[in-house]
Amino acid sequence: MAKIMSPLELSTLRKELIQKSRSKAISITICSGTGCIACGSKDLALAFTKELEKYNLLGRVAVRETGCHGFCERGPVVVIAPSNICYLKVGEPDIAEIVAKTILENQIIERLVYEDPNTHQRLANLNDIPFYKHQKRVLLEQNVLVNPTSISDYIAVDGYSALVKALLYSKPDDIVKTIKDAHLRGRGGGGFPTGAKWETTRNAPGDVKYVIVNADEGDPGAYMDRSLMEGNPHGVLEGLIIGGYAIGAQEGYIYIRQEYPLALKNTEKAIQQARDYGFLGKNILGTDFSFDVIIHRGAGAFVSGESSALMNAIEGHVGEPRPKYIHTSVKGLWERPSCLNNVETWANVPHIVNKGVEWFRSMGTAHSKGTKIFSLVGKVNNTGLVEVPMGISLKKIIYDIGGGIPKAKKFKAVQTGGPSGGVLPEKLLNLPVDFDALTEAGSMMGSGGLIVMDEDTCIVDTARYYINFLAHESCGKCLPCREGLRQMLKILTNITEGNGNEGDIELLEELCELLTKTSLCALGQSAANPVTSALKYFRAEFEAHIQDKRCPAGVCKNLFCYEVDTKKCKACGACFKTCPADAIKWEKKQVAEIIQEKCIKCGACIAACPAKFNAIKKIHVKPVLQEC
Amino acid sequence: MNPEQKKEGILKDQKPYLADVIVIDDEESMCEGCKQTLEAVGYRAAFARNGEDGLKLIETAHPYVVLVDLKMPGIPGTEVISRIPKIDATVVPIIITGYGTIDSAVESMKIGAFDFITKPFGPDKLLESVRRGIKLSELRKEQQIGDEREKAPKLDKHEVLLRGLTVLSESYSVDLPRQNFLDELKYLETEAKYHAQMLGQVKKEEKAILDVVQELRIVDEIVDRHNFQKNMLIQILLEIQATLRWLPRYVLKWVAARLDIPLADIMTITNFYEAFSLEPQGRHTIQVCLGTACHVRGAPELLTKVSAVLGIKPGQTDTTQTFTLNTVHCLGCCALAPVLKIDETYYSDPSLDEMKEIFKSYATQEELSWQK
Repeated sequence: MAKIMSPLELSTLRKELIQKSRSKAISITICSGTGCIACGSKDLALAFTKELEKYNLLGRVAVRETGCHGFCERGPVVVIAPSNICYLKVGEPDIAEIVAKTILENQIIERLVYEDPNTHQRLANLNDIPFYKHQKRVLLEQNVLVNPTSISDYIAVDGYSALVKALLYSKPDDIVKTIKDAHLRGRGGGGFPTGAKWETTRNAPGDVKYVIVNADEGDPGAYMDRSLMEGNPHGVLEGLIIGGYAIGAQEGYIYIRQEYPLALKNTEKAIQQARDYGFLGKNILGTDFSFDVIIHRGAGAFVSGESSALMNAIEGHVGEPRPKYIHTSVKGLWERPSCLNNVETWANVPHIVNKGVEWFRSMGTAHSKGTKIFSLVGKVNNTGLVEVPMGISLKKIIYDIGGGIPKAKKFKAVQTGGPSGGVLPEKLLNLPVDFDALTEAGSMMGSGGLIVMDEDTCIVDTARYYINFLAHESCGKCLPCREGLRQMLKILTNITEGNGNEGDIELLEELCELLTKTSLCALGQSAANPVTSALKYFRAEFEAHIQDKRCPAGVCKNLFCYEVDTKKCKACGACFKTCPADAIKWEKKQVAEIIQEKCIKCGACIAACPAKFNAIKKIHVKPVLQEC
Repeated sequence: MNPEQKKEGILKDQKPYLADVIVIDDEESMCEGCKQTLEAVGYRAAFARNGEDGLKLIETAHPYVVLVDLKMPGIPGTEVISRIPKIDATVVPIIITGYGTIDSAVESMKIGAFDFITKPFGPDKLLESVRRGIKLSELRKEQQIGDEREKAPKLDKHEVLLRGLTVLSESYSVDLPRQNFLDELKYLETEAKYHAQMLGQVKKEEKAILDVVQELRIVDEIVDRHNFQKNMLIQILLEIQATLRWLPRYVLKWVAARLDIPLADIMTITNFYEAFSLEPQGRHTIQVCLGTACHVRGAPELLTKVSAVLGIKPGQTDTTQTFTLNTVHCLGCCALAPVLKIDETYYSDPSLDEMKEIFKSYATQEELSWQK
């Protein structure tokens, strides 16, 4: 491939590509995000190709493996364009039928179509499914159209046109101004105005500057960045190149967690293709601007996602943060001005440059503009990735898009912002998704994890979970974070094990305040949020654990046990056969009995007990008091 | 296979036919049954209906394991077993018989049988025994190769001395003081022995040392690819981890020397990041995701189950070195929560029985690839 040296060459190529794709009237897109691959989408493309070959249809129908479509719960997802028929949970045996009926005769196969759990209505069109209908997909839209390993696909959907606009028709200062005027705020969590950050680095003294993509998505329960890097790496890359031009950087870094192998692979490939096409390297598009990108793989440390820690890691040191009397945007990587933004932030840049400030500002609230991707997970019917305009209420996301809570359970809380965020109770469900509103409520936007909890989730256990995670991930450089988290974990563990004491809650509150006020970096400063918010909204649950030694949700292992209902047990022995711990006593024609000393409380027996008997139940118990 | 041959059970006219397991039994149903069971899990199996044909088949098919019925017309089973070592000493005989008494078991072990299965038996019993037999046979084959190597003309002691002197003289030319050179050599030798011990492998010392040489060459290749750049340290360590599956002490020391970074600095990094393992890992890594989405959907229970099935705790490797169990903060597969990942494959909330099946399939797969 000869390098593209001018806008004309790019537009000619785009026209050719579009022409070529028009020759194929129908396209079948198969989601190949990690979720769908795990559900078995890997072999679908080949199976479709084979089946189409039988009917000699390959000239008319395109088969495309794309990035994540978002509806991971119902994967593998297959979308047939132009009619936008969306098939869910597609397996290899369905393929012959899809080709014979849908492709050849334009019939819809009811069985593979979305069924509304409440109305039982079947919805075939992608845009009618509530999960998609209430979204505003700007960044994720391209995920459905583009094969992430094909630069041609990206160019065909107007890819790299923003780069042309920036490099040839704008000055760097204009681009910075555009981003500033658009009020784009950092999608990584803090919500710092991106334009201001760019300006600082642009104006910082020095000739050598860096731009960095933070794809060290460490928040447990969030995978927006992963899906963007896997599904549309060119989108992020284009944003980064534009940023490099605007800021005056010559080199960019992409810091990806090595836990995301597919994202790594697709990004590496995208960089190579961009080099081949001349979007990276010397004299990009025939201008004076030269820029290249290097990938750095993260080795698994949550704190390395913090800006100064991340830069330390790229330099080959331990990824620990440093005090930021001088910001990294002035003195960052190798002591040079460095601009670090989150994946989603970079991905927004080409859209803003292309569609303009007004378009971007038309979405969102007064101080939070544009859209935000959330990973809607936990106890919710339609788990997956959703992109919504800022300002939408949490209720709308959870109930309209997410389809509510499964198994008719009661909603209890939603955690936003991952381990640095907080839990929000039902009464706050009308809260708009907005950087400032969420912070005010004691949580934060975070990078976009939305974890829904139902009545079977224990808030104390969840708080313990987060503190355990943070205590483990604390780098230990500053005392409040290292020691404070450890003490909080100790107290919370005691409470969940039924050994909580009067005064524990007050002690926790004191520690929370200490952490927030005295920690070195954002990890420690925000670490108390999960506990503070849990205490604020669910204090009664803590009290139940401490005073009554009771876990209302039946989660804390020390506070419940399994028991066989001797009246219901039909002595089938299913539980006996499945128990991995040998904790069930059973003989033919005799009712089973659980030996509590041996029971590891894995719940395998409940799952094994036939539903019609339903003979094993969870009961609350008080632990035998232990002298500490 | 045409019906005629099937009836005969032996493939006389064919070109050398390779089989992993041969069944010698006069009962056709027995032969067919065993063959099907074995082939179902991927072994190549063949059978013969009497001792004579069986012995011929062993000569051409080079099996790992032979299943022999004790009571047969013609050459009796015991005779067949005693003749097997003369054909191929690495072949492992296993007895199948209806006379399941202690006496016949003892007798058959005496004449060189490896195991003893009493009729009637289920497929599990058969496969278990065959698997162990194949492992033994493989060991014997390795041993044989080693023995043959030993038979090759040995280096003369004086020749070795001269070679050593040459290397010593070369050490002067690279400015390596003699004592340092000898110390370093001694250190690497000690590490090699320790390494062999750590892996629980029966390795000869010279083989262990050669392994170390090979591994350090791999490390050098990786370091070289990154142009000896200090700032690439984490990337280099990640690649070594991916290749060797863990970071032995001598490798870290080697990297320290090659990049001119203090060993302490390298240790700080290997201890700080989760991706590095300082202990040998099993051939398959199981990661149970403890992300929040998984946590609220029952990851702790999943972990308890995995732990109970494998009998190991997180961070540990099972005794056969097949699986290492780890926990991970988030695999980014939240929609499938709770999720576990084995090597590169994700599994969404497997039930206890499914889990057992999955683990079993990895153990079998391993034996298959290991046969090739």
